[in-house]
Amino acid sequence: MTNQTASNQASELKGKFSPVILTCCAAARQFIDKEVVFGGVGVSFLAVAISKLRYTPCLIMVTEAGYVDFAGVSSMGSPADNHGAIGASLHQGLFDTFRDLQSGHINAACLGLAQVDKFGNANVSYVNPNIRMNGSGGGCDIASSAGRVVYVVKYAARTFQEKLDYITNPGYLDGSPDARKKAGLVGGGPACLVTDRGIFRFDEKTHEMYLAEVFPWQDEKDIESIKADVPWDLKVADNLKIIEPPNQGEIDAIALMDPGKAYLEESMMNRPVALISMSGRRDLNAYREIAEIFRAKFQQAKDYLL
Amino acid sequence: MVQEEYRHKLNKVMTEQEAVSTFLKDGDCFTVGGFLLNRESDCVFREIARQGKKHLQFIEESSTFSIDMLIAIGAIDRFDTAYIPHRQVGKMDGLPGLQRCFNTGDPRPVKMGGVIQTPNYTGNEKPMEIVDWSNFMVALRFVAGALNVPFMPCKSGFGTDLLKYNTELKVINDPFENKPLVLVPAIKPDVAFISVQRADRRGNGQVFGYKGTDEWKARAAKHVVLFAEELVSSDKIKEHPSHTLIPSYCTDAVVVQPFSSHPFSMYGCHGGDGIQTLNTIVPHQTKEGFTAWMNEWVYGVKDHFEYCEKIGWEKLEQIAKSEKKNNVLP
Repeated sequence: MTNQTASNQASELKGKFSPVILTCCAAARQFIDKEVVFGGVGVSFLAVAISKLRYTPCLIMVTEAGYVDFAGVSSMGSPADNHGAIGASLHQGLFDTFRDLQSGHINAACLGLAQVDKFGNANVSYVNPNIRMNGSGGGCDIASSAGRVVYVVKYAARTFQEKLDYITNPGYLDGSPDARKKAGLVGGGPACLVTDRGIFRFDEKTHEMYLAEVFPWQDEKDIESIKADVPWDLKVADNLKIIEPPNQGEIDAIALMDPGKAYLEESMMNRPVALISMSGRRDLNAYREIAEIFRAKFQQAKDYLL
Repeated sequence: MVQEEYRHKLNKVMTEQEAVSTFLKDGDCFTVGGFLLNRESDCVFREIARQGKKHLQFIEESSTFSIDMLIAIGAIDRFDTAYIPHRQVGKMDGLPGLQRCFNTGDPRPVKMGGVIQTPNYTGNEKPMEIVDWSNFMVALRFVAGALNVPFMPCKSGFGTDLLKYNTELKVINDPFENKPLVLVPAIKPDVAFISVQRADRRGNGQVFGYKGTDEWKARAAKHVVLFAEELVSSDKIKEHPSHTLIPSYCTDAVVVQPFSSHPFSMYGCHGGDGIQTLNTIVPHQTKEGFTAWMNEWVYGVKDHFEYCEKIGWEKLEQIAKSEKKNNVLP
């Protein structure tokens, strides 16, 4: 293939996938089969579930609330979601899963964030001047003690900050050698930040975040604009890798996991349950219709996974 | 120390109204069992609002949306939390009442974790305080309370602003290895309301599915009220003793309360009610919508059973159907 055709094909793909699909598929490829992984809430859970469905069938998913080694038959609205119980090897408690985390049994985790700095410290609590975010949840614990953390976030210039408004999750702290160990943290720290405009990783020596991988349609101009967004002198890997675009298998897996379109449809009001509910229908048939939306895909996922 | 007056009873069954008025006083600290939208006692927030309790403290790891109605009527003085489902609701605020307190100080201003507070507030109301923790830290507060020790150590949060703004967290060098440790203070809430799938009348509560921190909450709290989806015989409890998370000696009251987690879900009993969830969150986005909703769904009904009647039992059975097939209780 000539460079010209490759670049034509790449630009045709640009804009074809939503940020959720791009980040979710790229993040799903960051896990290793048989490892034990904490999934967060939202896209960060979905990425682990897609990984298990497509690439890492023996991966053990753990939720904070206490579900361990479950099948992952559907997306979860919460770590305590009833779907987490299905096909699980263990139903335990929240204290128990954090015990397992602090004792070193959790190899990796997938989390979201609102702000990140050069050394992978993350904020999910407050954004100046006056925005309350969700707060730590288990994020602070997981970023403290998990083997490694894969962050997933929709790209926005404001995500990258010289100084965070609030440090919720520890990264490599001030970046100095052994900073985490000296502080008392037992986990390995952030492995990467997966966005819809590339994957950022951390230099092994300096712990500084750099651009490591980009999608095929990202040209030099695009990379320059990322560098302009980032408040530190963002380095770009010498051997910049190209991320494979989402494949049909991954896209089908997301559709299977997300019958309620909680991820595929950005606005809540355009999701199927909202469309029924907001039309003013609240009778028994509306409830039945909603059950039907979930039933078919749910059964399909169960047949495949269990 | 143990409240024998209630705990030695062989029949602890009472109504939700009785349980809330007996055990929860103005100024008390309370918690609920479960975790983020599953097997939480959502019903109790409505009952607390109906009874007009004030100056309450609420502590939970990752909270249910339902706490927002008590924040929005100004009933909460202090809220200890690790997580609120605020910014993932498809561009709507998950806790719009809290957002209003923050934006305008109505009905009272908010001070959040020593970081930010309601700007330009000139009224006289004392701010509601939000104290930030992580999930593990909140859980360890209950563990310490249950073990009757002043704190529990952990290795979460070094180098973060949780330690900077939450002055109740301490860092010490441990006396054995001289390495840093985070100390989390104990909490003994006045009341823990815990929804369980089954209980007998003496107060043995059985939990199926994930366990959350409920066994610790039940032992840390001064009073424990169980909301049982189903009241069963003690023989039925003894058929599956490993599922008894809360033994009768921890329990003060058993409220037989099907769908106590509505509009959210309960393992093995029912899924979430998407229609009623939207019918709650959407009107709550405005003060007027919230007031009308409270008049209709909280003040306008006598108790939880009238609430269920108003939703419609046939619809509640419908949300129970698929969950009962997916997760079968033994």
